[in-house]
Amino acid sequence: MSFQTMTRIALWLRRLRVLTAKELLQLSRDLALMFVIVYAFTLDIYIAGSGVSLQLNQAAVVVIDGDHSQASRELIYRFRPPYFRLDGEVADAATGLKLLDQGKAMALLDIPPNFQKHLLAGQPTGVQLQIDTSNAVLGTLAASYAGQIVGKYGLDAALARTGLSAESLNVMPRIEDRHRVWYNPNQNDTWFFAIAELMTVITVLAIVLPAAATVREKERGTIEQLSVAPLTPIQILLPKVLSMMLVILLGTAVSVFLIMDIAFDVPFKGSLPLFFAVTLLYVFSTAGIGLVAATMSRNLAQVGMLTIMILAPTILLSGVWTPPEAMPPGLRQAMYLSPLYYYIEMGYGILLKGAGLDILWDSLLGLALLGSLIFAFGVWRFKRQFG
Amino acid sequence: MNVSRIRVLAFKEWREILRDRLFLTLAFVVPSVLMLVFGYGIILDVEKLPFAVLDQDRSEMSRDYLQQFMASRYFDYQGDAQSEEELSHLLADSKIRLALIIPENFQQRLSAGLPAPVQTLIDGTFPFRAQTAKGYAIAINASTNADLLARFIAKTQGMSLQRAAALVSPVRLELRYLYNQELNSRWSVAAALIMFILMVSPPFLTALGVVREKENGSIYNIYTSTVTRGEFLIGKLTPYVGISVLNVFILWFMATTLFNTPFKGDPLFFLLASVIYVICTTGIGLLVSLLVHTQVAAMIMTAIITVVPSVLYSGLLIPVSSLDAAARFEAHLFPAMYYTDIVLGSFIKGIGLEILWGNMVMLLIYAIALWSLSFFLFRKRPRS
Repeated sequence: MSFQTMTRIALWLRRLRVLTAKELLQLSRDLALMFVIVYAFTLDIYIAGSGVSLQLNQAAVVVIDGDHSQASRELIYRFRPPYFRLDGEVADAATGLKLLDQGKAMALLDIPPNFQKHLLAGQPTGVQLQIDTSNAVLGTLAASYAGQIVGKYGLDAALARTGLSAESLNVMPRIEDRHRVWYNPNQNDTWFFAIAELMTVITVLAIVLPAAATVREKERGTIEQLSVAPLTPIQILLPKVLSMMLVILLGTAVSVFLIMDIAFDVPFKGSLPLFFAVTLLYVFSTAGIGLVAATMSRNLAQVGMLTIMILAPTILLSGVWTPPEAMPPGLRQAMYLSPLYYYIEMGYGILLKGAGLDILWDSLLGLALLGSLIFAFGVWRFKRQFG
Repeated sequence: MNVSRIRVLAFKEWREILRDRLFLTLAFVVPSVLMLVFGYGIILDVEKLPFAVLDQDRSEMSRDYLQQFMASRYFDYQGDAQSEEELSHLLADSKIRLALIIPENFQQRLSAGLPAPVQTLIDGTFPFRAQTAKGYAIAINASTNADLLARFIAKTQGMSLQRAAALVSPVRLELRYLYNQELNSRWSVAAALIMFILMVSPPFLTALGVVREKENGSIYNIYTSTVTRGEFLIGKLTPYVGISVLNVFILWFMATTLFNTPFKGDPLFFLLASVIYVICTTGIGLLVSLLVHTQVAAMIMTAIITVVPSVLYSGLLIPVSSLDAAARFEAHLFPAMYYTDIVLGSFIKGIGLEILWGNMVMLLIYAIALWSLSFFLFRKRPRS
């Protein structure tokens, strides 16, 4: 390598360093923004992870007990935490339904008169459960658990009537259900929500920060200074992306070590360096989306609106809220266009499943390809405008 | 308070919005796109869970048992695995969400009248889906067991299979689904999305609208004019409230026509509540705009403070009544929850003011509190 090329490279790097420092300085002077970024990586993730759970948790059940027998009491007693919580008896259906209307109870259990009599006589009998299904997900879960409770109750009653003990089930043909839930044995929603929120925060910042840094120059007119400076478009854009990458990576580290590890006890099964490396690649890819948005808008308000338009499908097609297998065919293929899809796959894979490169290589390749394409497209558009 | 000044300010703001064509389009397009994308895209029903099988018994009974999983619309058979390692690899790679292992001697044990273990491995990364998948697997096992027991009792006690079946499961559970008979999660999602979109989009517009003036410096025109704070705030924000009220109509229309969500309540009550809610959320945007100085900060701050509470603490995904105490407290701090009850009540339950008046009062209190707070925080003479 000749001396001249070396000085040229040194100069190129020096410009990069100086401009990156300028971006960081500019960011650090916006105190409100710094505060929001810190909030996003700490408290916001804490709020998202703590307290909320998508499980049926002590759903309030009210009862119309038309029998008032030992059998009915025993059945009622089985609707207990964690899934259900008995909220007392009501006199008639109208009162019960009113409670359901007001959202004060989720289900109304109706036990008919002569319940015990029929049961003892070996006649089939039925109980009715009315469920508030305005939230379809929890309605389904409630129905499923209630079915299990009543089925188990019926079986116990049948065994008691035929004079068989519970142990005698061990000499009967049946399937012993030994289910195990892997990766998150207690189905701790905290881990799921905290990781999902961290990834969303990273996505929002990785798109908005570089986009805003670029459009601000357009809006203020300082872009003219940059375009007359001896800088190539890459040299203008790269520092914006680099500085934001630095900030986001730092925030991710804070969030991982402070919130996930200390506050939520997320078991990091896989390699954290790999996770950070993947995060870096992801931020780079998503920053490309921000650059494309920046070239399409003239002011920050427009870029903000465009960002929402891009964010919504990106998050939707990521597979966090809707699993890929449940997507209709067309949308399922569209998921490959969302960088977040690969990141979710790898993020949960590394953090919870302990997956390594041997399993995740295809997602990594996909993200790298998609990221380079988007980034190149952003730079190309920027060049056309200011080259 | 001078009405003509307010009118002039509102007109000026409206002009400015109109002239920024992209901004104007986005103000209406963004809410509709969010509604379309999330309304069609969020599918909370757990179906077609990919699963694989390790059948070490390879008997007629094991195949019959597996057939129940394969025939179920909740599961989607992906093939046979040769070893447990292969299954765990498939789970780690998210190629399957559930694995079934049937050990040897399955048929032999059952035929001999003994219990036979079956192992189910479930991917717990997404806890809600794991929970539902577990429920489906338990239900399949329970029905298989009832069948096995009935046959066994019929054989050993010498009664008819029908009687034995009745004996094994004497209590029938009759389920009635209220409000949403088809368990259509799209209905509840589409209705609740109105709450979400009206929480995210108005503050965004508002915060940007105000901070833009601050960042450009055009706000000094206001600082030096005779316009009072109240006049400025009302005049400035009226167009944004107007845009959002129009969006209420658009979203309502989309929910009822595109997603066929029934609207059982009182339209007038719903409209009134929505207007108050929009005034509330616009107030959030206003408050944000007073706290920050740059548009970037305004955008990120509104996105972050509105999205999480309105998704997780509002009743969109999970009713507030089943949150734990701390989370329920947080939910009550945020207006989204009160409006969710109103939306779901108006659309799906068909209840109105007589039950939901409390929520309406809370929204009003929020609106007044947010606007008065902004009024006191807004200074025509900025501290240097």
